[in-house]
Amino acid sequence: MVNSTPSLATKLGKLELAYPTLMGSGCYGSGEEFAPFADLSKIGGIVLKSVTRLPRLGNPTPRLVHTPAGMLNAIGLQNPGIEWYLERELHKYKDRPCRIVGSVAGFSIDDYAYVCERLAGRDEIEAVELNVSCPNVAREGETFGCDPDLTERVVAAARATTDKPLIVKLSPNVTDITAVARQAERAGADALAVVNTVRGMAIDVESWRPRLGNITGGLSGPAIRPIAVLAVYEVAQAVNIPIVGQGGIENLTDALEFFLAGATAISIGTANFTDPRIPERIAAELQAYLARRNLGSISEIVGRANVGISTAYQYEGDEG
Amino acid sequence: MGMALVDLHPRVHATKVLERCELAHGVTLLTLHAPQLASAVRPGQFVMAIPPSGESAATALAVYDTSGKHASILFFVTGKRTRELAGLAPGARLDVVGALGNGFDCAGNERDVAIVAGGVGIASVWLCAKALLARGARVRLFYGARTAELLVEAQRFADAGCELILTTDDGTRGEREFVTDALRRAAPPEAIFACGPSPMLRCVGQIANEREIRAQLSLEETFGCGVGGCWGCVVALTARSGRAPNFPPAQRGGSDVVYARVCKEGPVFLADELRW
Repeated sequence: MVNSTPSLATKLGKLELAYPTLMGSGCYGSGEEFAPFADLSKIGGIVLKSVTRLPRLGNPTPRLVHTPAGMLNAIGLQNPGIEWYLERELHKYKDRPCRIVGSVAGFSIDDYAYVCERLAGRDEIEAVELNVSCPNVAREGETFGCDPDLTERVVAAARATTDKPLIVKLSPNVTDITAVARQAERAGADALAVVNTVRGMAIDVESWRPRLGNITGGLSGPAIRPIAVLAVYEVAQAVNIPIVGQGGIENLTDALEFFLAGATAISIGTANFTDPRIPERIAAELQAYLARRNLGSISEIVGRANVGISTAYQYEGDEG
Repeated sequence: MGMALVDLHPRVHATKVLERCELAHGVTLLTLHAPQLASAVRPGQFVMAIPPSGESAATALAVYDTSGKHASILFFVTGKRTRELAGLAPGARLDVVGALGNGFDCAGNERDVAIVAGGVGIASVWLCAKALLARGARVRLFYGARTAELLVEAQRFADAGCELILTTDDGTRGEREFVTDALRRAAPPEAIFACGPSPMLRCVGQIANEREIRAQLSLEETFGCGVGGCWGCVVALTARSGRAPNFPPAQRGGSDVVYARVCKEGPVFLADELRW
């Protein structure tokens, strides 16, 4: 049998994606900024910048520092707040060429539930990502995603407000990401985004001061890819819901690593700052790869690198 | 022959390096074959240069000059990304996204104008100088650098008809002072166009605001995406500014401010709308 064009379509809960590529929250604006350079009908969807209950001015500048194989950012969840967002921004997404995923951040369980509820009735947004892992806000921002019990309570509270698919974005800045993943699943998450940025810092050796206005930031780009691949690999074996793999994906090889580790879809963020044509190129190359391997669908490679969790050879009688 | 259509819509341009010139140690001028970009770019606009290696984020670079089908970029080598670009030999392909941003408005009717450039800021003001000279303005160029060798392209401005006021930090050419000291001492111009490091621009803005001179400042900030998608390169504006993006104003220092994106609403802002 000769395969016709292999399918790149995939699903995150009820959210059907024509391409397995999401554009990472905060990296792609509302999509319109990239529309002159990228064909938005050739990507799966855009995860919008996180919105909070109240407006946020964000962090002082500098907010970005380029680092070896990546960048540090500390934007600080700048956003106009949910009311303004509903009134003046959501209309942009009525005629959308791809899926639109809202992103919600908060500083209390009630915040998350409130914003999710306000979005629940709006059909411009087809799914919601819960950002429980922003490393760049002074109060509690990342605390939720670093604590399995708090994550569970946030997800449960959000779940109660909306039928939209819920994607929970996990932090890599934890000892055991699978514990957080399992409790997010238990509370009703439809999918997990793995992972958010890794906390980091850069110092200006001339001025002897931190280079970011916020002092610390979140590291993204190829520098964190192995960290993210491991996180996807471990989470994939801990839960039964789909994973959106993310962290430094720039090309076909990088994308394949994440699918093979267990991701059902991938998210591309910082690579858009290198070349806005990358997401479209990755999709085309994935399709060609599947055809070469005589595979009918991207789903056939998900998790295929799974050989269990590694353990070192042990001496007999060693209980360690 | 039909009239050539000028497409102002930004896009990815596949350009080719025609010439590479090292103007001074660590200062490179690349001339590119880029017909559509050359016809679209306006003074003060920039491009995001996509690294041929794909190994780093794109670099924001002012379009220095255009001529026919050629566009050039002038930059200082400051790190890995600019080193890669400086290594491009004639014949190499360089993809750039552009032309981006809101540049200088050179169409005013001021007869006596000052251009203030600090270091690599010179790259953003040549097209501006050409436009101002073309409409018959007297153009004084206040140009400062660390040392004489880094006052690149000064002669080109002089040859075109600009009056030069040069300064260096070490006194190797012009006065040993900051370029803003020279500006403060000079007879006030009717308008100012400036590009350079932030401390210089703040000072230019202060001088302009004190004397109620309309000043257009091209800001320097680290860019992420360069197209308005990441909000990494913001600057505070008074909420009354016509350039302020669609965002609820915040109270700061007793006035209403909003953050604007240097890459999208800028890089050129008016001195009296900035709240930095």
